[in-house]
Amino acid sequence: MEQYLKNLPAVFRAIKSLKEIIITNVVLMGQIPAATFHEKNRREAFLKRLATFQVDECSTDDYNNPIGIIRGTSDRKPPIFLVAHLDTIFDSDIDHNYTVKKNTIQGVGILDNSVSIGVLLSLPAILNALELRFESDIVLAGVIQSIGRGNLRGIRHLLKTWLTPIRGAVCIEGAELGRLDYYSNGMVRGEIDCRVPITGIRSDFSRPNAILMLNEAINQILQLRLPQKPIANIIFGKISGGFKHGKDAYDASLGFEIQSDSDTMVKSLFRNIKDIVDGLNHENDVEMTIKTISNTGASRLKFNHPLVQSAAAIMKKLDLEPVSQHSESELSIFLSRRIPAITLGVTRGQNYHLKNSKMLIKPMFKGIAQIIGVLTAIDNGVCDE
Amino acid sequence: MSKNWLAQNTFHYSQFQDIERLVRIKEQKKLTISLCLPTLNEEKTIGKEILIMRSELMQRAPLIDEIVVVDSGSSDRTLEIARNYGAETYEAINIFPDLENYMGKGENLWKALYITKGDIIVYLDADIKNIHHRFAYGLIGPLLMDRQIKYTKAFYDRPISTGKKKMRPTGGGRVTELVIRPLFSLFFPELTQIIQPLSGEYAGFRDLFQQISFPIGYGVETSMILDIYDKWGLDVIAQVDLEKRVHRNQSTKALGRMAFVILKTFFNRLEQLGMIDIKRDLYNEMIRVRLL
Repeated sequence: MEQYLKNLPAVFRAIKSLKEIIITNVVLMGQIPAATFHEKNRREAFLKRLATFQVDECSTDDYNNPIGIIRGTSDRKPPIFLVAHLDTIFDSDIDHNYTVKKNTIQGVGILDNSVSIGVLLSLPAILNALELRFESDIVLAGVIQSIGRGNLRGIRHLLKTWLTPIRGAVCIEGAELGRLDYYSNGMVRGEIDCRVPITGIRSDFSRPNAILMLNEAINQILQLRLPQKPIANIIFGKISGGFKHGKDAYDASLGFEIQSDSDTMVKSLFRNIKDIVDGLNHENDVEMTIKTISNTGASRLKFNHPLVQSAAAIMKKLDLEPVSQHSESELSIFLSRRIPAITLGVTRGQNYHLKNSKMLIKPMFKGIAQIIGVLTAIDNGVCDE
Repeated sequence: MSKNWLAQNTFHYSQFQDIERLVRIKEQKKLTISLCLPTLNEEKTIGKEILIMRSELMQRAPLIDEIVVVDSGSSDRTLEIARNYGAETYEAINIFPDLENYMGKGENLWKALYITKGDIIVYLDADIKNIHHRFAYGLIGPLLMDRQIKYTKAFYDRPISTGKKKMRPTGGGRVTELVIRPLFSLFFPELTQIIQPLSGEYAGFRDLFQQISFPIGYGVETSMILDIYDKWGLDVIAQVDLEKRVHRNQSTKALGRMAFVILKTFFNRLEQLGMIDIKRDLYNEMIRVRLL
């Protein structure tokens, strides 16, 4: 590990010498639309391209997650996983073509998560240029059906069907560089739908309004007393409804998320919200329903876990200040299976989830150096206790 | 009309995606290949175009030997970005500075002949939003693998960008369908087999380009096809399906100007070939009446 940190200037040079290949991988992957559940084209392109980088094994699991394996020197050490989600929040009718300028790349989904996919693809070439070999196999997985309604199905399935122990894992997210996530909150992501039945002729004044009904639901949810411990939070993240300025809304939908470091608290709050919905449904002439979109359990590494400590040390050596937040992503699935894992950010940028999302090119090289440093640390045994 | 040309000389880029094989043939034949990108204010697309070509066809497989940008006087950061990603950049005005200065794509393509070194020259427009290295290797493939073919021309689906970051899946090619194809049908029926005669992506042997003339502006693609057809026949030409090319949607006015220049080029060639006799000089500028 010390050797790697000493060699950082050479590592930087090697990574930068592959600048064109890395950016090309980012662009060619990111320009293929891959909305959740519609990742087929990107998945196939990822696999096809991974094969051209002389990865030892290239295949999909039976859930169609594309996987590449760089064989290690030892057949006794369990594999190390490097994971990035392939899917994005953007539909295929949106222009996915990227603009590459001197210092930036701009385009939909660049930070979430094309840059990570591009880095994942480039890793075999980078390790080759650095002449780095690991004892463990390195499993490069671009997982599908991750975000939103995907409910992390890809990674759940991959780990459920992986037969051998896993030594450790690094999850890669586009932004922000300096991110060091090692715990996941318990989370339930839900949707409340309200529909006003259209039956017979009724006066506009007597017809309930779906938006106002949702408003009432929000007001009642806001009246719930949240405890200070365990920490709990309810986030209203999405809302839609109605069809015309001058007409009462027939339908409306609210997306929310409950987060807590206690799974029991998450369940309790969800039950409370369900009671509110049931009450409104009973008392009004509407069809109000609540459903779960996705959920994860609370799990964590301790701050003094050697993986977290090593990652923090590597980041500090790279002049990065580690910042930790809860992350309900691939990380939570690894941790729930007691596999030591962290999430790292690759670069910096702007407009994270917008169509004009933009990433900076230069910090990406530091982001890659940090990932390789953490891989080296895991290979040196920081997850083996 | 040659009945076999369409079947024999129409390719799909995937037939040439074994790039290492192309590199081997290129080396066996001791050929060098230049990629030329004519530009005018292409800062949004030029960086991506150069870096993908450098990554895939220079670093990972040495198919292309040089990338040259010839610029018509961009006022944006086209040249700075092109240099940053490793292209050799030239301002057209500085190539043969003693000659009278003309602005236009044809001028850039012609001047590129004097600054590039390759035996094969690939010309690609620099505004391709969905650039992929298939645009280059697809055009190079037939030139390396078929002795008879000296010039390759691209065709593709043409989705157009309709603004607000939305795409429309089909469209474009209006000048081809309303101007070029009717003219070819009247005067050169064999050439109607060329699916997109106005595509801005083509490649050929230096020898061939050095023996034809290059009109300055939009007419260069049409005149190139007519000259090659006249000198060597259709069999030296091949066309390659590059699948999808996303381009900017042009206004009807802009397409009108393009059609005007192409018509002028076409009539000049017809007259030179003795196919028509124009009794008076043609008016030199497009006339447009504006209603207030």
